[in-house]
Amino acid sequence: MMAEYSPEYVGTVTRYVFVESPSMTPGELALRAYEASEGVLIKETCFGLQVTGDPESVDRLIEEIRTFDPSHIFVKDRGFPPGDPRRCRANLGGARPGYLGHEREFRILRYITRGLEELDRRGEEAEVPEEPAPPVREKKPKLDIKRLQELIETEES
Amino acid sequence: MAKVFIYPATSLILSDLVARFGHKPLGAALGIRERIQTAGVDSPPLQITPEEPKRGLKYAAVEVPSGVRGRMAIYGPLLEEAEAAIIVTDADLAFGCMGCARTDELILFSLRQSGIPILELKYPTNEEEGVQFVAAVKKFLAGLENGGEA
Amino acid sequence: MSRKVRIAQLSCGPEYSGVQKEIYDAAESVDAEVFFPDIALADVEQAVDAFGLDVRSADLKLMIARGKALVDGKVDADGVFIGTCFRCAEAAIVRNELRRYIHEHSRLPVVSYSFTERTTAGTLLTRMEALTTIARRRALLAREEQTGITMGVDSGSSTTKAVVMKDNEIVGTGWLPTTEVIKSAEGAVASALEMAGLAREDIQAVGTTGYGRFLIGRHLGADLIQEELTVNSKGAVYLADHQRGASTVIDIGGMDNKAISVLDGIPGTFTMGGICAGASGRFLEMTAKRLGVDITELGPLAMKGMGKNVPMNSYCIVFGTQSLVNALAAGSSREDVAAAACHSVAEQVFEQQLQEIDIKEPVIMVGGTSLIEGLVYAMGQLLQTEILVPPHSQYIGAVGSALLASGFIKGE
Repeated sequence: MMAEYSPEYVGTVTRYVFVESPSMTPGELALRAYEASEGVLIKETCFGLQVTGDPESVDRLIEEIRTFDPSHIFVKDRGFPPGDPRRCRANLGGARPGYLGHEREFRILRYITRGLEELDRRGEEAEVPEEPAPPVREKKPKLDIKRLQELIETEES
Repeated sequence: MAKVFIYPATSLILSDLVARFGHKPLGAALGIRERIQTAGVDSPPLQITPEEPKRGLKYAAVEVPSGVRGRMAIYGPLLEEAEAAIIVTDADLAFGCMGCARTDELILFSLRQSGIPILELKYPTNEEEGVQFVAAVKKFLAGLENGGEA
Repeated sequence: MSRKVRIAQLSCGPEYSGVQKEIYDAAESVDAEVFFPDIALADVEQAVDAFGLDVRSADLKLMIARGKALVDGKVDADGVFIGTCFRCAEAAIVRNELRRYIHEHSRLPVVSYSFTERTTAGTLLTRMEALTTIARRRALLAREEQTGITMGVDSGSSTTKAVVMKDNEIVGTGWLPTTEVIKSAEGAVASALEMAGLAREDIQAVGTTGYGRFLIGRHLGADLIQEELTVNSKGAVYLADHQRGASTVIDIGGMDNKAISVLDGIPGTFTMGGICAGASGRFLEMTAKRLGVDITELGPLAMKGMGKNVPMNSYCIVFGTQSLVNALAAGSSREDVAAAACHSVAEQVFEQQLQEIDIKEPVIMVGGTSLIEGLVYAMGQLLQTEILVPPHSQYIGAVGSALLASGFIKGE
């Protein structure tokens, strides 16, 4: 059953806007975003917004939205336009896999927020204090053969 | 503005930080968007047709499972485009486009082979690590040739 | 219209192989809908921990969690489709263990499949249809006795079989090679009726199965048109007089093989394989031809030989047959070659199909190939069990259809 596919929203971009803030709810975010939308399609969600429009307008709006609460608003590209039935929880019977991936990162967003605030506090001049330690592969020293023999002998006696 | 491949390619945090500090994140959404917005044969949900695993033969041999090749058909062009990469090395719960460990291994290998600047780090597990994480990303991005705003 | 049958999909890779639409289409064509059990991230972590299979791929972890949600009754479904990429070892382990887990801890019918980018809805159709049959027709499948006068027709890829049954007895049989589907069916039906001494008007209900089931079903005005997985399971336990409890049904067909783990006459888990002709009855036909014997003589010939004496480098119908020819030229006996051919087919079915289900005794072999005793012997050796071949085993689909069709006799 080969059917033809005609895409919608061609040439647009869609971005997720997540808000994890003590001072701003997704509803408030949406209200302020609507005021600044200028033709960009805005869809409110439980975690924030989805914005869809031509790339320049979306970039402009995102820049504006970020200023509302810079360290608590996070933005990500989305492949699908909003409300697409192929990704809709109601049609799939469950959340699309990507949602669980977001869940994974939601848990640590507060650390990122903290990082953004701290860097902001230190200002542009402040040096990055220390490199994060690169992941170290632990190498345990090999057991000396004589030592092994001693161990065996101790166990046996 | 540099094109920075993010790993996991579905990461909200990396996508956000790369864009926030003035660069272009290259992630799964771009590959999916391209397919969703291109007319052709109907193949829900992702508009990945059986042709894509065949295109993936450019990146993996025929005995490699179709799901790996199909995913590589999405990521291959993005990997070729990337000018830098940020890799989270403990991203073990990234699903869907990132849900196949074999594909993920191949992506990481391709990135490390390519010679582009790479930042590898782990997800923060507390506030102090959060500060280090953001600082490291910011510093890495600022040091890229095509400079960002940071 | 009955409500849609809900099939839970547990999978890794079909969206990226470009075959998710094929899964949707196959389900839709049997009035079923595929869905993905809804779970949260915490469920994934807990489920993987509890299940104890430490896989790397996150989508496989998701499969495990979704499977567990089904078993725990957190999500309702009528059947389960487990699908992963062909040639992925990590996924194959999860597919098998999850299939076994669901089978052991729930009453949900499960079909597992490893797909490639070439998998089509047509390939998946019979499997999906079986899942929906089990969900929709549990009452019908519970039938253990044939009543009235009914007929079953099995339009297979190699042969067409017809059976007339009366008051729980087989009173007429007929078969023909499948050439033109309808013509072959008419011929087989005529023979069965003649043997039964009955006319078409005497038949109170008709059931059809096999590849040509829809075509001949319409032609014969059948009351029941049903895929061969549930029909053959039913027919096998009926003929083997083992309607209750667990059993395993193996049907090596002309074009594909079925391996079905049955409980109380209803398939629990099942697989169908049809990629390789070397694992089919066709391979044995070719061997018989090469040896210059009728297919009916191949079995007895094989029983006199030792397969081990013939080196076979391949299961392939082309290269494997070449090995047999070479062996003949090098002085191997015809008996040994016949035995080697039987072993080759049995071993491939054992390796490819029987690993996808749980073997529970009794193992019942049915279909035309079950008459080749060398093949049955080879399978018994591989499974280390005595294999049951019930009477009329070659008519399995037709008998199952006639049995189930009696549920459609008016006034029943």
